[in-house]
Amino acid sequence: MLDRQTFDRLLSLALAHGGDFADVFCERRTSVGFRLMRGAIHETSLGITVGTGIRVLCGESAGYAYSDDLSFEALERAARTASLIARTAPSGTAGRIAVAPREIHFPYDTRHEIARDASIYVRMLERADTAARAFDPRIVAVNATVTDEVQEVWIASSDGALVHDRRPLVSFGVQVVSNTNGERGNGFHGDGGRTSLAFYDVTTPETIAREAARRAIVNLEAIPAPAGEMEMIVGAGGGGVLLHEAVGHGLESDFNREGISLYSGRVGERVASELVTIFDDGNLDEERGSIGVDDEGIPGQHKVLVERGILRGYMQDRQNARLMNVTSTGSGRRQSFRVMPQPRMCNTHMPSGESSVDEIIASTKRGIYAKSFAGGQVEISKGDFVFMVAEGYLVENGRVTAAVKNATIVGNGPDAMTKVVAVGNDARLSSRHYTCGKGGQYVPVGVGMPTVKISSITVGGTADG
Amino acid sequence: MDETRALTVARAAVEAARAAGAGDGEATVTVAQRFSCEARDRTVSKLEQSTAVSLSVRIFIDGRKASFSTSDLAPENIRDAMARVVAQARFVQIDPHAGLPDECGSIDVAALELFDDALRARTDDARIADALGLERAIRDADPRILNSGGSHYADAIVTAALANSRGFSGVHTGTRASLSTSPVAIDGRDKRTASYGTAARALGDLEPVATVASIAVRRTTDLFGARKPPTKRLPVIFERDVAASVLHDVFAALNAANVANGNSWLIDRVGERVGSALVSIIDDGTLARGLGTLPFDGEGSPTRRTVVFDQGVLRTFLYDTYHARRLGARTTGNASAGGIGPNNFFLQSGSQSLADLIAATEEGVLVLDTIGFATEHATGSYSRGARGFFIEGGELAYPIDECTIAATFPQMLAGIDAVANDLRFDGTVVSPSFRVAEMTISGN
Repeated sequence: MLDRQTFDRLLSLALAHGGDFADVFCERRTSVGFRLMRGAIHETSLGITVGTGIRVLCGESAGYAYSDDLSFEALERAARTASLIARTAPSGTAGRIAVAPREIHFPYDTRHEIARDASIYVRMLERADTAARAFDPRIVAVNATVTDEVQEVWIASSDGALVHDRRPLVSFGVQVVSNTNGERGNGFHGDGGRTSLAFYDVTTPETIAREAARRAIVNLEAIPAPAGEMEMIVGAGGGGVLLHEAVGHGLESDFNREGISLYSGRVGERVASELVTIFDDGNLDEERGSIGVDDEGIPGQHKVLVERGILRGYMQDRQNARLMNVTSTGSGRRQSFRVMPQPRMCNTHMPSGESSVDEIIASTKRGIYAKSFAGGQVEISKGDFVFMVAEGYLVENGRVTAAVKNATIVGNGPDAMTKVVAVGNDARLSSRHYTCGKGGQYVPVGVGMPTVKISSITVGGTADG
Repeated sequence: MDETRALTVARAAVEAARAAGAGDGEATVTVAQRFSCEARDRTVSKLEQSTAVSLSVRIFIDGRKASFSTSDLAPENIRDAMARVVAQARFVQIDPHAGLPDECGSIDVAALELFDDALRARTDDARIADALGLERAIRDADPRILNSGGSHYADAIVTAALANSRGFSGVHTGTRASLSTSPVAIDGRDKRTASYGTAARALGDLEPVATVASIAVRRTTDLFGARKPPTKRLPVIFERDVAASVLHDVFAALNAANVANGNSWLIDRVGERVGSALVSIIDDGTLARGLGTLPFDGEGSPTRRTVVFDQGVLRTFLYDTYHARRLGARTTGNASAGGIGPNNFFLQSGSQSLADLIAATEEGVLVLDTIGFATEHATGSYSRGARGFFIEGGELAYPIDECTIAATFPQMLAGIDAVANDLRFDGTVVSPSFRVAEMTISGN
């Protein structure tokens, strides 16, 4: 998009007033989407985003400006605006900058192209619609979407690196509504990743649609969730949302460098039951949260966050890593050129333990079995979290009994992690449809975990406990 | 890019859509000049300043709808993209309701007071001083405020120009400023955060720095020593910010797109008494200086004042043109960014103070903050993680957290038995504090 001399010139301008580091993030993103409703294609969209963001880091401060306009005059203005931060917080100066390309390993095929033949997407949606309706006569509505995107980034930084990443992202989601005698059930399922449409030759639109339909039928037959404290079994795969919210956000380095997170200054300490190990990986093949390089040009990598209950480290971006005297873990991610990067998760997951799922269920007297979550949220300083259960069951005297609906789980991250009393031998990554929000920025992520049992949690339902 | 240039680009995009084969086209050009500043401790930790320009286009070909958005305004990009979107649109089912509004128009912009000259005249130093001053104020307010997630000042001047192939064109420019802060209080091993902010179109309408700081600090330190409440059914008072989050969910159920798709608990209930007599909810796009006030909505329909709930009786849903046609109604001027959004959406104030509501509650819960969100609105169930106070004998007895409050929306609206007089228009969805007669509290 921009030539090397332009990157050199912009970086020099950005550091004209001083500063420790500067980078230029140039992005071109194209995405195509189709939506099916009431049995037919309802709408389609095309998005093309182009722009450049320029950032200057200066001690604990950051200056930022961006431009949608790639003319040199506009970029020069952005570089000068970003440079102003160094006036309010003076610090070192950089010498002459000459960027050079770096080689990168990509955990996905960077050659992916959006299909020019739109009928491919249309056919996928129609197949999903047919399969979901055929699943059960009580299915009354099917809403399906497909999006196909390529985000191409060029990142030049004042340490001399120029990197290029080209990130494909396909996603296919099906929302199904069931209805009988005025009762409604909802079911959602989605899958995709940093892959090509060939993914759907194996994980077919029919497979995804039937899973969504199955969930809609389960919820149709579900009873109101109980209220109060009880045991909880977290389902393999999608249960990983629990790790993401209850622990992951608290281990992002900005909250820790700033002393806001409850995990601040606790590396080396016990923060969870010794059954708990948590990784964050940026380089798993074709996962939604994978990256060739992060949005600061650092390769995606494997990070050990928690090892047998001991906190091992945080997820670092460049600025926080430098201020904490460690190296970046390739966790600097951003939604687009319009915003500065933040330390973020990639694919957060837990490896297998020793227990079988049958043992875990059999050991549970009275609890809730949350097979998947519809979403969650965490408060960073104390670790309080909430999750909405998408598919949940009651467990009574060692047996899964009735499906429950509208269950909300509330708890505290560190408290819940010390109450992990069993970890299953069935670790797997969830189907790929999660997007994480932080400070108004949304990025695709992956989650995964084995079946896990937590000895006590608060369930917020409306039925009497 | 000024208003005239923005309109010119919008009109050119409509022409490009027509040239590519679209029967009708509508283009919106948005130009936003943004400034934001974050202070932490004594330093400016973030300073961001940019002008963003974006174009979004809707095209219609015989009832087939497609949309396009871009930040690349080069004519050749727009021309190529239009050809691509038109090709995509051929796969879309013909929908007789899709299309531009039958009547477009704009109410008098000047009367709306969207623009504050004082904001444009502001120096960067003055803006930075607000963020630094707010950060200093929270740290001076209480010795336990030993840290913060940042104190922010931000403002924006936003121009939006809309043109369509039926000859409508309109443009408006508005300002917006905000102050917000997130103190971190530490007491031994207990660490607490909360946040508070204020926003307005005019600088003079912002709450003062000292007020923002003291409310944020009180919210942070109030909850030290919080514990779980008992599990039982009790009255719940929603303080105004969290009351507004309940109204967001009510809006979702009134959104005609959700109604048309069967995703609303209010389907088939227009004309019925749903809430108590204290429930009067208004959507008003014409309120002078309101953050959600505009002369026309996202598709060029004039904005208006709509009574949605009148003393508990549901009068109407909120529509854009498409969903109004589908449901046999008229648009309420709520088209926004390709969907349906609130203008200034609020519950009408009552006469008592929040303190009166607390004093009149023998046993109950005051909720200051909730976490969690709804993913579907069909069942009308409500369950959120909550923090606040337990009320005993009309007084705040002890702080509570790690609990949930749950009920259904019909129960909650019908159960509103007191509304306070503390409404402030500091967002597009706002509410005074109110009390719900009974909800399920899940704790110990």
